[in-house]
Amino acid sequence: MNRRKIKTSIKAYIFLAPFLILFIAMVVYPIFLGAKLSLYGMRGARTWYVGLDNYIRIFQDPKFWSSFKIPLFLLLIQVPLMLFIATIFAILFERMSKRGGAIYRFIYYLPYTIPGIVSGIVWSYIFSDSMSPFRPLLDLLGYSGLKIMTRQNLPLLLLFIILWAFTGYTAFIIYSSLLSIPRELTEAAQLDGASFWQTAFKIKIPLLKDVILTLFIFNAIGSIQVFNEPWMLQNLVVLPNNYTPAMYIYNSAFSSGRFTYAAAMGIILAIITFLISLYFLKTASRQMLN
Amino acid sequence: MKKRKNKNIIISFILIGLSIYFIFPFYWLIISTTKNVSQLFHKSLLPGKPNHFIENIQSIFSYENGIFFKWLGNSFLYAIVGAFLAIFIACLVGYAFRRYDFYGKRIVFILILGFSMVPVYATTLPLFMFFKDLALINTRLAILLPSFVNVFSVYLMVSYWNQIPDEVFSAAEIDGASDWLIFYKIGLPNIIPGFITLFLLHFVTIWNNFFLPLVLLNTRTKMPLILGITTITDSQGHPVYNLTLTASLFTILPLLILFISLQKYFKPQFYSSK
Repeated sequence: MNRRKIKTSIKAYIFLAPFLILFIAMVVYPIFLGAKLSLYGMRGARTWYVGLDNYIRIFQDPKFWSSFKIPLFLLLIQVPLMLFIATIFAILFERMSKRGGAIYRFIYYLPYTIPGIVSGIVWSYIFSDSMSPFRPLLDLLGYSGLKIMTRQNLPLLLLFIILWAFTGYTAFIIYSSLLSIPRELTEAAQLDGASFWQTAFKIKIPLLKDVILTLFIFNAIGSIQVFNEPWMLQNLVVLPNNYTPAMYIYNSAFSSGRFTYAAAMGIILAIITFLISLYFLKTASRQMLN
Repeated sequence: MKKRKNKNIIISFILIGLSIYFIFPFYWLIISTTKNVSQLFHKSLLPGKPNHFIENIQSIFSYENGIFFKWLGNSFLYAIVGAFLAIFIACLVGYAFRRYDFYGKRIVFILILGFSMVPVYATTLPLFMFFKDLALINTRLAILLPSFVNVFSVYLMVSYWNQIPDEVFSAAEIDGASDWLIFYKIGLPNIIPGFITLFLLHFVTIWNNFFLPLVLLNTRTKMPLILGITTITDSQGHPVYNLTLTASLFTILPLLILFISLQKYFKPQFYSSK
């Protein structure tokens, strides 16, 4: 330990203090408190230690496992589909004229500015039997008995809403990193006679691997935590209290009064999220610490 | 050549078709605010005739003695104060990382990064218990305090500060300026664009944050818009579609104005550039 470094450390921690205090109080401490609560049983104001009982019961709880159906569906269908479409958009954006491209990028990005609650309200009304503008069209085509807003259709409707909200944003991110690819690389390929799409798929997309992987990670985390859209949709269609993991956590804590059980599920959700983000965290820390 | 032209036409068709998909809910929301409930049930894609836009606005403004304005004020309070303080605090962290070689630097950084992905669904329930002990449940502070921490912005701020070249600081050091002066006079001006971007992104995050107030608030007058609009009912507890839709429009209007007027700052930030 040298005195100089101690002195600079003190200075540094004065700058770090406001953040560290709030960070510990609002993020680190709650996680540890959640972990502690998860080891207790609770009824009213009475709590007692139960060890790992909550976790054991969660792993045997079929409702917990089935709450992952929607996240899994989104992860396996919606996320890959969106990344594929967004990549195509990004490549098209790059080819467009300056003004045309800007207009399309603006329109496609716009839904991202809408909060999930509001898009949940608006889309659920658009799909509802009483207000849907598609209803007259379906009736005209002879499908008057067909209901749009049903439990069975809900995953598809969610897919539709989430694609609407995030595809343009995702395309914009991919487009931004496309712009950073040196021109010489693609020009050389085109001189060799490669077509536009050949250059795109053989040269550009492989260079986008990192961005697409990161986007995949962030969207996977988003899928596991989906809450707002189904929360609003349940005003028009009855949903079970474990429709998604986040909904199951909320409902267990505040409707069923199983607070510590919910806290344990929160910890499990945090661990899953951490594991999914591991690749991103590794890359990010390597970038900064070297 | 002709084949290529056909291909371009098909691509244009697809792009325009998708533009309709992206715009349609906006259009539907706007025309719906011109209708009363029975007009909404007509399912038409045209504005209401007679037009009830003014009437809807009057009813949402006068709903429950003007609670709408309380929600609006709360949303602005939470989002402006929360975002400004969070990003300013992040700035201080960025400065410390850029300027000082301090004990525990690696550990603090790894902690920040490691906790940057913690889901709110894991922290909000314990926060509820924590705030209950502090008698903070159902206070505005319960929403503000967690908003002051945006771990991911801190991570991004550290990377922004690291991009400022050494020369910027060295001149000031020779002059013997104090650390605070260097932070304030030299550092901050260089970080302004990043500051604005992160402020806007965090502003939107707080504005849209539904789960935290859902858990921590139960008095309607303290709710932000995003939660308030989901509680709109008539005296029997039935939903009032036209009011909910009109309030929804006002919830997204500030976001749209911000986004359109400050577009160049709305850069998605999720990976630090090297």
